[in-house]
Amino acid sequence: MAGAFDEAYDVVVIGGGHAGCEAAMAAARMGMNTALYTMNVDLIAQMSCNPAIGGIAKGHIVREIDALGGVMGRVIDRVGIQFRLLNSSRGPAVWSPRAQADKQSYRVEMRRVLEQQERLRIKQAEAVAILRDGGRATGLELRDGRKVQAQAVILTTGTFLNGLIHIGDHRYSAGRSGETPSIPLADSIKSIGFEWGRMKTGTPPRLDSRTINFSVLEEQKGDSRPTPFSFETGAITQPQVSCFITYTNDRVHQIIRDNMSRSPLYSGQIQSIGPRYCPSVEDKVVKFPDKLRHQLFLEPEGLNTNETYVNGLSTSMPSDVQMMLVRAIPGLENAEIIRPGYAIEYDFVQPTELLPTLETKKVEGLYHAGQINGTTGYEEAACQGLMAGINAALKVQGNSSLVLERSQAYIGILIDDLVTKGTNEPYRMFTSRAEFRLHLRIDNADQRLTPLAHRIGLVSEAAFARFRAKQGRMERLAAHLRLAKVEVDSGRIAADQALKRPEVRIESCLDSVPSELREQMSWEEMKSVETSIKYEGYLKQQTAEVEKLRKAESRRIPVDIEYHAIPGLSREMIEKLSRIRPTTIGQASRIPGVTPAALCILHIHLEASSNRKETA
Amino acid sequence: MPTLIEDTIAAISTPLGKSGLGVIRLSGRDSRRIVLSFFSTPRNRLPDRVPVLGNLVEPSTRDVLDQAVVTCFEAPRSFTREDVVEISCHGSPVILKTALGLALAAGARLASPGEFTLRAFLRGRIDLVQAEAIRDLIEAQTLYQAKVAQQQLSGSLSRKVTPAKQTLVELIALLEAGIDFADDDVSVLSEAEIRTRINSVEAGLLPLQSTFAFGKIVNAGLTIALVGRPNVGKSSVFNRLLREERAIVTEFPGTTRDLVAETTQVEGIPVRLVDTAGIRAARDPVEQLGVDRSVEALADADQVLFVVDGSQPWTRLDAEVQTRLEGRTHLFVINKIDLEQQLDEKSLDIRSKAVCRVSARTGEGIEYLRRALFMEYGQLEGYEGLVTNVRHERLIQQALNALEMSRNSLKSSMPHEVILLDLHSALKGLSALTGETTVEDVLGTIFSTFCIGK
Ligand SMILES: Nc1nc2c(ncn2[C@@H]2O[C@H](COP(=O)(O)OP(=O)(O)O)[C@@H](O)[C@H]2O)c(=O)[nH]1
Ligand SMILES: [Mg+2]
Repeated sequence: MAGAFDEAYDVVVIGGGHAGCEAAMAAARMGMNTALYTMNVDLIAQMSCNPAIGGIAKGHIVREIDALGGVMGRVIDRVGIQFRLLNSSRGPAVWSPRAQADKQSYRVEMRRVLEQQERLRIKQAEAVAILRDGGRATGLELRDGRKVQAQAVILTTGTFLNGLIHIGDHRYSAGRSGETPSIPLADSIKSIGFEWGRMKTGTPPRLDSRTINFSVLEEQKGDSRPTPFSFETGAITQPQVSCFITYTNDRVHQIIRDNMSRSPLYSGQIQSIGPRYCPSVEDKVVKFPDKLRHQLFLEPEGLNTNETYVNGLSTSMPSDVQMMLVRAIPGLENAEIIRPGYAIEYDFVQPTELLPTLETKKVEGLYHAGQINGTTGYEEAACQGLMAGINAALKVQGNSSLVLERSQAYIGILIDDLVTKGTNEPYRMFTSRAEFRLHLRIDNADQRLTPLAHRIGLVSEAAFARFRAKQGRMERLAAHLRLAKVEVDSGRIAADQALKRPEVRIESCLDSVPSELREQMSWEEMKSVETSIKYEGYLKQQTAEVEKLRKAESRRIPVDIEYHAIPGLSREMIEKLSRIRPTTIGQASRIPGVTPAALCILHIHLEASSNRKETA
Repeated sequence: MPTLIEDTIAAISTPLGKSGLGVIRLSGRDSRRIVLSFFSTPRNRLPDRVPVLGNLVEPSTRDVLDQAVVTCFEAPRSFTREDVVEISCHGSPVILKTALGLALAAGARLASPGEFTLRAFLRGRIDLVQAEAIRDLIEAQTLYQAKVAQQQLSGSLSRKVTPAKQTLVELIALLEAGIDFADDDVSVLSEAEIRTRINSVEAGLLPLQSTFAFGKIVNAGLTIALVGRPNVGKSSVFNRLLREERAIVTEFPGTTRDLVAETTQVEGIPVRLVDTAGIRAARDPVEQLGVDRSVEALADADQVLFVVDGSQPWTRLDAEVQTRLEGRTHLFVINKIDLEQQLDEKSLDIRSKAVCRVSARTGEGIEYLRRALFMEYGQLEGYEGLVTNVRHERLIQQALNALEMSRNSLKSSMPHEVILLDLHSALKGLSALTGETTVEDVLGTIFSTFCIGK
């Protein structure tokens, strides 16, 4: 067998996007000989959509990636040009960092990080086939005929599979803007027999900033104290720039209505479904006719470019119409379009084809991560890449897998939703998807996840020591607050009780805390202590539910279970359960339409067969 | 329902009759704790396999509901191999229903039919050579669940809950949108608007809850006052309802100078009957005292029986008593129907929902009166209705409590994500009555309300 291959690795990653980068880094750092294959090494970690990382729920994911030893947070912290903590007027559970990126620097910095990583090789080549031996992935074949052996293959090809770009009635096959699509690879993957779907997403036009009249626009500055994504980042020091806000108007809407027949979205040329939360401007005008204006954000794509991203103006209108409608917008009367907006259709594999480890059920050793699984967003992609990389490495090492629970991380929610329910619309994370939202905060992501990452070797001893020291400081502060008394309107009470009141802040409770401890602690650490005290009661209320969930997750269902052979299950239930093949009773209970009675029967069956095994 | 055998289940395990002994059974780790939360016994302990005598007590009011004998069977020496507790009490459906309700409120889950047997099997207590039997069991469960689901989805309760639930989903969607799409221009609700919406959800549920008022009077009992001019037969009716001679019955008007109160059970419901002195201008201070007390008792009563004498024409005194009843719900009781009737009903302005014709002497019409006492509080149902009713009541109550908590959080300026905890918990209660509402439903509402997306 060995002779048939030209090269051999433990783990091979196909695709150099946000999922691919995290996957390759994780595998390599866990000791795997790893190779990353990409069609164009100059476009590694390209931000093909908007030039920003984070945002509500997405910022949480980046923190979690960071806590697990991923790289996205560290990189954006070095190249971000405007940082804002979103939702800061609300409670800390929904605070979420967001940053505009210098797009080019992001790419360069990520590539530098990858290139410095031991055991990781970066290769420019087009993969055309997944090689298999029976039900196992053995490697991949390159366009020039070379064969690469791998014990695990991670597929992170984004929108490249049968990508088709639409600008008006122009259509051409493409990956991302300007790159070629991977058609042979798509055919190879299709031949495995996965369930496929097709999705659509859009981008807005990019303008030349020299032609924008900023003087009439509303300025949006970054925070004066930028909040970093990574727990390891000390402070953000690079210069910060502003974004600007403008609005569509009646004239814009009229131009769109007049030219509707030329939009591929409405001419019937595009059939697939786009996300409801990221509608094209055509959709906005049609679906919300009463709304007089729609907000647009003008976001700089970097410090060394004039390119400006018009967030909110995603469109697939022909270029001439795009020109007209842009120039009807206040401040953009003389704007020049550098690149027109476009819509892209692409294939995705139903994520119900995957186990919670992101390994495919049909081919052992093959993992899918990122947009190929029907998600959107750099952050959603990156976290899947990370988990696929981790699980591929664990599997090659012969160790048990790492699956995060819904009560543990947004990443756990994302993957559980995907593999349990599948998706028909590009899947994006929202905080409302989290049952235990008050627990899944940016300030405790390290507490939730870093010990796990340390155990599998993704966190260095030095970083882990810093984490432990931080936890120690926070515990000491919490202990002091339990003893300290503070004055409130009803008299002197324990500081930790006072903090439960919404109006009381930790700053007013620090008097009796030793100054030595106070000086060691950052503002974030103190806030985090405050938050856990404030939420204590609510978190306790949920512990029982978390516990229940955990129990149900601990009841494993054997992979080889045959649902049709279980007496008492209805045909509908057999079908649903066989399609998803849940790995635990907990997952089974979340499959839409699976009834409590079916769960009961499944349970009886599992108990009965384990009893039988014990007595045998 | 990911928990299958971790939680504690409860059910009425004897067929429901209106008398005799009734048994409620609990199985699961928390059985003992749950029962001790509403069963009061001198030593507050339930030793293994020792029957213990005590009282069933409504924990919030400390009202005694009934006497009961409780026996604990410790795991694994029990039918299910879990801790099992059996409560034997009076077999009245109302008592059983209330006691079951207390168990559910303290954390037990209503068992599905056959679930005790199922547990016995899962714990290895029953040998499963009888695969057939278990299959039947499951089938019964499936059928039962389908039936309950069907009842709920198409039932009138569900139809009544749906508008309130819709309002709640919209409120949740608006608040969620404010959190998840803070950067889009979604409008943020003011505190006053949120309160208005919470109130409107509540307003949709309160009338439903009052249909469960039956459950409430079961716990708290019901005070019924008999009023009327002297000598119409109030004390006689009172005695009839009590089935005992208790009040003083005389032929001279104004004898019952003080209040005579007696607690009894009617249809299993604790009832305090208050026989009042006739309301009339008193001739001496002692009688005046009685009259004053009567007026007070009238104010305190949950239900009033306005007794008139059918063998006499309507008098000014009757009219005087009636004016005191203005604005109060009451039952119009015409007594002495064994005698020749002189009362011209057509000329009367009867403002009661029902008129009961009785004879305290012969007992005629008394049974009807007995049932009419609870007319406003709903009927007694059959087994399934009874059980699902307890469940519905709990769910609506859960939703109302959660709404109340959300209002408190709002008042103390908690952030929206905290207020949403309670709103989601209210939604959970309502969803259990009408079918599930998922995150997708909430997101769908958001996306159709706001133009989200940049
Ligand atoms: N014939 C007849 N006499 C009744 C009836 N109810 C009460 N009486 C008589 O009416 C008189 C007054 O009864 P009582 O209960 O003391 O009236 P109260 O003053 O309203 O409490 C007594 O002589 C009773 O025996 C009835 O239903 N039929
Ligand atoms: Mg009397």
